Amino acid sequence: MSSRTTASGWLRGTTIRKGGASSSSNSTRHTTPQVQSTSSTIFGGGVKDPSGRTSEYFSMDDQCPVCKSDRYLNPKLRLLVSACYHKMCESCIDRLFTLGPAPCPICNKILRKLAFTPQTFEDLGVEKEVAVRRRIAKDFNKHREDFPDLRSYNDYLEEVEDITFNLINDIDIPETEARIAQYKIENAAVIELNAQRDEQYAQYLKEQEEADRLEREHRASELRRLEQEEQDEKEQSRQAIIDKLETSDKDAIKLVARSRAEALKRASAKTTTPAFQSSSRLLRSRAAQSTVIPDVPHVPLQDDWYAYEDMFTMRSNYDDPISEAVRKDREGIMRAGGYVVEEAWERALRSAVAGLDIPPLQGIRSADPEVLQETNTAVAAVS
Amino acid sequence: MDAVEKANAERQRRWTKEAKIGEGTYAVVYRGREVATGRKIAIKKIKVGQFKDGLDMSAIREVKFLRELKHQNVIELLDVFSSKTNLNLVLEFLDTDLELVIKDRSLVFLPADIKAWMAMTFRGLEFCHRNWILHRDLKPNNLLIGADGQLKIADFGLARDFADPGYKMTCQVITRWYRPPELLYGCRYYSTAVDIWSVGCIFAELMLRTPYLPGETDMDQLKTIFRALGTPTEEDWPGHKKLPDYVPIENFPKTPLRDLFTAASSDCLNLLSKCLIYDPRRRISAKDALNHPYFFALPYPSHPSKLPKPAKKDSGGHAALEEVDGNVDFTGSGPGVKANPPNRLKRKLSMEDGGSRSIARRLDFTAKS
Amino acid sequence: MTAAVSTPGASSSTVEKVPLYQGSTQYRHWRFSPEELVHTRVSLNAAAVRVIKDAFEADSLGSSTAVAFLDANEENLLVKLYIGKVSQLCGHFRFPEEVEATAVSYLKRFYLKNTVMDWHPKNVMLTALFLATKTTNHPISLEAYAHHIPKTAPSDVLELEFLVAQSLGFDFAIWHAHKALWGIWLDIQTLPDIRMDELRDAYDVALKHVRESRLTDAELIYTPSQIALTCFSLASPSLASAWVRSKHTPPASPPTPTSPPTPTSPSPIPETDILELIEPIKSMILQYGTMPDVEAVREVDRRLRLCKNPEKIVGSNAYNRKLEAKERKAAEKRARKAALARKAMEEGDPFGDTIGPQDLDDDDDDDDD
Repeated sequence: MSSRTTASGWLRGTTIRKGGASSSSNSTRHTTPQVQSTSSTIFGGGVKDPSGRTSEYFSMDDQCPVCKSDRYLNPKLRLLVSACYHKMCESCIDRLFTLGPAPCPICNKILRKLAFTPQTFEDLGVEKEVAVRRRIAKDFNKHREDFPDLRSYNDYLEEVEDITFNLINDIDIPETEARIAQYKIENAAVIELNAQRDEQYAQYLKEQEEADRLEREHRASELRRLEQEEQDEKEQSRQAIIDKLETSDKDAIKLVARSRAEALKRASAKTTTPAFQSSSRLLRSRAAQSTVIPDVPHVPLQDDWYAYEDMFTMRSNYDDPISEAVRKDREGIMRAGGYVVEEAWERALRSAVAGLDIPPLQGIRSADPEVLQETNTAVAAVS
Repeated sequence: MDAVEKANAERQRRWTKEAKIGEGTYAVVYRGREVATGRKIAIKKIKVGQFKDGLDMSAIREVKFLRELKHQNVIELLDVFSSKTNLNLVLEFLDTDLELVIKDRSLVFLPADIKAWMAMTFRGLEFCHRNWILHRDLKPNNLLIGADGQLKIADFGLARDFADPGYKMTCQVITRWYRPPELLYGCRYYSTAVDIWSVGCIFAELMLRTPYLPGETDMDQLKTIFRALGTPTEEDWPGHKKLPDYVPIENFPKTPLRDLFTAASSDCLNLLSKCLIYDPRRRISAKDALNHPYFFALPYPSHPSKLPKPAKKDSGGHAALEEVDGNVDFTGSGPGVKANPPNRLKRKLSMEDGGSRSIARRLDFTAKS
Repeated sequence: MTAAVSTPGASSSTVEKVPLYQGSTQYRHWRFSPEELVHTRVSLNAAAVRVIKDAFEADSLGSSTAVAFLDANEENLLVKLYIGKVSQLCGHFRFPEEVEATAVSYLKRFYLKNTVMDWHPKNVMLTALFLATKTTNHPISLEAYAHHIPKTAPSDVLELEFLVAQSLGFDFAIWHAHKALWGIWLDIQTLPDIRMDELRDAYDVALKHVRESRLTDAELIYTPSQIALTCFSLASPSLASAWVRSKHTPPASPPTPTSPPTPTSPSPIPETDILELIEPIKSMILQYGTMPDVEAVREVDRRLRLCKNPEKIVGSNAYNRKLEAKERKAAEKRARKAALARKAMEEGDPFGDTIGPQDLDDDDDDDDD
């Protein structure tokens, strides 16, 4: 059911900037993914395809390493990946981290519920690699043009690769981090400049897309207008024939034939797309229908159930120990969550009056005479 | 035979099963008929006795609530009977659902059509709320549509009563794209407003013909919402910063709905905006929504019989499959096809390239194109 | 037991409104006259005695003559004892009142379809309570549940779950008197010159009576609001009658019974007569709202051990005979199916492209008769 891949244009456009304005130093090359923050706090997660969607990894053999629940037991099983690259299922995550940050059951690193991300690749190593590369690409965003010659560009690329390799394989982490920090300080201006440049490009792409969308919309409304014109024209020519027939003494048959020929010529001159024709035909058939079955004005409620509304008057407040704790709501979380104590009161009030006047049944309404007979003898036997 | 078994057997005899139209982990769905009248029905057979805690909660909820609700905009549970360890729900048969309608690109929606669907949805929901039932899983694919065009709310597997003070409720309900911000923030005391948010999302989807707020994770869902509607302030939504899972999210500006919904009337956008108010207490109720000027303004809501519907497929079984059970796993490759073989490796969205390794190479920073 | 209510779900402007309570399964399926209750219990008892006698005789001729079978009253006494036990268990687990009240209703309803000679209330009570935790949305894991009850394995609880659910006709929703009592407590506050301390005392006493009423048949004959009012009236007749007087007859929508009026179901009564109507409930609660004498029940239980249905006792001759018959039937069915499958294989299509009616029994294989 999750295979609705058609993200609308407006959304796709913004998804590109997901990492936040400052960090979205997107590379201009299409083969490079958009940059995203991989900090362990908040992270939209997963690797996006060009449409901005995450393709989540999914296998029939999935099993949660924490609770051992698998796809056979729980077909809705969904494994997410922690900041320390350990998998666990959504229900484990809920159980362990709902109350706040807690240690990873596998490696004890302190984790937060929202820092879990979907798994994109079968191999978690790849998952990590992608995350590292994203992070690196954010700061190491130099282009070929930033270097005097190919050689120094290649050296730069090699250094980046080196750092990436270390981060992925947990080699010399402190030293590598220091190298990154050093690089960031030295190149702050260039990084910022490139980030802006990349963002401009992304903006440009987005504008292009928006323009395309507007163009499509415009085309659609143009087609609708033409359709209307055609309709009006037909109406006019019909009217014209009638007028002519009234005023002219020419042969009626000839007049009709001539105007038909004219209409035909007009129609063949028109170029309409097949799609437009089919939708316009649909609209026409809908219009025809509406004369057969009329639409009626809206009636808010159409059922015949009575909910005892007139049997009581709600007060704005009651002395009520049962709901006292809820109403105090010291944290305000019930208020913010939308809990309404008046609904509880109304429900109680309704049930206090519901069926108050229903008289009890009397006698026996048995549908089955045989059973009745049987029972009667039994009753007789007992008494 | 026991009296109970006898009565059950009598009930069972009133219905026939004709063809299996879907199979899932929890349920098998059959198309069938009422013996006496020949009317089409759907039988949802829930396998019981495989769960370690006995009767499954979602089956219990579905039966409990549908047994009590009778309304033209709520799916009708005609009967329940058991066959040894199976629970059989006899439901009215419905042709299609709103998701299939939205997705069918050959259909054109008039504003009056959207109005009609919304009115029917609100009517069904108002009735649930009048009976103190939260649905908690409203989405286009749970809004089924009958041959006469009537829309009916279905799938009460996540429903529960509300209004009892002091009992926590789970926030892990409602399909993510239709889940309101208070649930995403982990709120455990909530109310009818959660369903209204879902209806708002469906309303928008009917106009856009694509999901309005398709977040990818729970976190991303909040961002997606805020990106579309602006990040709420304390004034917009008092107290939300105290909710259990509250996290600050970057400030997105509020953009008028008009920017996206260019063709909608102002009444229409007014109602939509009232369904999507951040403060759940200020969000419109189903009853007030039904009295909103949008519904009384011209054009009148389309007569149900005229609402667009996907062309009839030869088997007619596919829609029925989803309509009765969200759990049903269905490949959709043709009529009567059996469920997927196990061990099938499946990606939720198709990837352009094959293996994961090659993707990693493609994402390589140093790769040149 | 079929719904005798008209269909207010369908739209129509001419039909009179139907009060929501009258759409409930409680009203439609579980409302009896006192005579009917006696009838039902006596006939169930008689039928059970007949079956058990036959089973004894089949085992060895003349063996049933010495057995002192339970009568309907004795059965009811035993059930009542276990209703009391539900309450103790709920205290132990700290379950909310709603769970307790629901479990009690289930237990009473169960024994309107079954007899204690077939199913001992000791076991049924545990299952009814477990089921009630789920249907009222206070689920607890089966393991934890069984763990806290001496000499009870999870399977003991689970084995009867389906039987209980089936006996209840899958009507899980219950309207409770204690909720109605809460409503009366709230609504009485709108009366002029109410002394809150007096009201508070009355409420406490009334709640005690509501709990006593669970030991009686009141909920099977009267509506929850009538029972709540009775209890309030027992606590403070003056407050109760003042409240009843304040309830004017609803003018626009007289809630008439919508069932095809049977001669035994008189038309609704004016509000003033409500106080008269509750008089018999008062005496019912005062007379029967106490726990039965343990010694007397122990005697009944002792005799029950001798007259239990042997077909339901694992290991007895009668049980084995019944089991054999069942297995024979199942084996026949499997053979039939195997033949069908073989035939399908020979025709070259192991799965079948289309699912024809002949395949329908596929899923019923080992669980249907």
